[in-house]
Amino acid sequence: MKCEEFESIGLERNGVRMSELDAALRQSAAEHAARCPGCAALQESWQEARIALQALRETTRDAETPQRVEMRLLHEFGMRHRTRKARSAAIFAAWALATAAVLFAGVSWRNWRLTQAHGNVSAENVVKTDAPAPSVTPADTSEEPTLIADNEGEFTLLPGSLPQETDDSAIVRVGMQRGALSALGLAVNEERVSDWIQVDLLVGPDGLPKAVRLPQ
Amino acid sequence: MSIPEQDRDDVLLRRAAKGDQESFTLLYRRHQAALYRFALRMTGNSWAAEEVVQDVFMTLMREPKKYDLARGPVGAYLFGITRNRVMKHLERLPRELSLEEPNGNGARTNEAAVNRFTPVHWAEQQERSERVRAAVSELPAEFREAVVLCELEELSYEEAAQLSGCPIGTIRSRLHRGRALLLAKLEILRDAPRRVSAAR
Repeated sequence: MKCEEFESIGLERNGVRMSELDAALRQSAAEHAARCPGCAALQESWQEARIALQALRETTRDAETPQRVEMRLLHEFGMRHRTRKARSAAIFAAWALATAAVLFAGVSWRNWRLTQAHGNVSAENVVKTDAPAPSVTPADTSEEPTLIADNEGEFTLLPGSLPQETDDSAIVRVGMQRGALSALGLAVNEERVSDWIQVDLLVGPDGLPKAVRLPQ
Repeated sequence: MSIPEQDRDDVLLRRAAKGDQESFTLLYRRHQAALYRFALRMTGNSWAAEEVVQDVFMTLMREPKKYDLARGPVGAYLFGITRNRVMKHLERLPRELSLEEPNGNGARTNEAAVNRFTPVHWAEQQERSERVRAAVSELPAEFREAVVLCELEELSYEEAAQLSGCPIGTIRSRLHRGRALLLAKLEILRDAPRRVSAAR
């Protein structure tokens, strides 16, 4: 064995890696070390170096990352995932709002279309048919609405009300003094304000009176 | 004995990616010490080692999907990142702060183990350890890596080659050169006559 060969195998640790070499090679290395003082000195130096390495290994054997690193990492982890959650929530909320807006617009448009269609039908009914059911007479905007005897049996719209379909409305008969009609915005004969009368009120789906008539 | 499914590194990593802090903590505690020791032995500086480990886990936190189970276990993946960071650090700071001040901070040594010895023994060991630490820190990065992996981490050639991403033959030759340089440096440090072939 030459010195170069010895250097490449003779410095192996006497543990794991030395056993990887075959016995003949190990024997040959040992013989070379016995013959060559230079290689023997090298081997000895390396043994010393190995002891020093062992000491270094021992001093760093139980070394661990300081606790502050874990704290920093966990803080960063928390921040990162909180931000991500907040962003997801914001995106979800934005989508929900957009969907709600679209739905609202769609429903509003549909209602508007239905209202338009019903309005046309009602107007046609008022004009073309002699409906036996209670009908609503639009208030004459040029004159003050007056509850007069000759429109008995027909509803008179209260001021501020619009003609509308009466399907969803209810008719409520109430007793009141004639003067109370003025509170509904109707003109009343001053001389008979204290008379008790019965009137039918047409109450809309919103619970407000829309029209009034004197029952037959 | 097999590790339960829920405790496997890749499962923990998947959960951590979804925001499970407990899984991330478990993963960190499982691997930090080995990575820190390697970084410490390579850089010879506890601050640098600390920074490297932190950087490794920040990368894992930022880009957990970069890990591919098919390419190996999470430990090897983390070691690969650590190795890259250490090499970058060594490139960035050649020779700078390679020798840490003795007792510079508490994270450096295994004080409890050291204190078991007598003061003389302790002093000798400290001196020897400092000498060798200085010598290791002055080795070129690739030789240092081979020495750290094979001599300090006590890995087999195969394991060291796998972690370094190079063939076994390369590790062998790097280790051989590393040892020769290390010996030369140690002989210089103690003013011993130097063998010419060792310093080649």
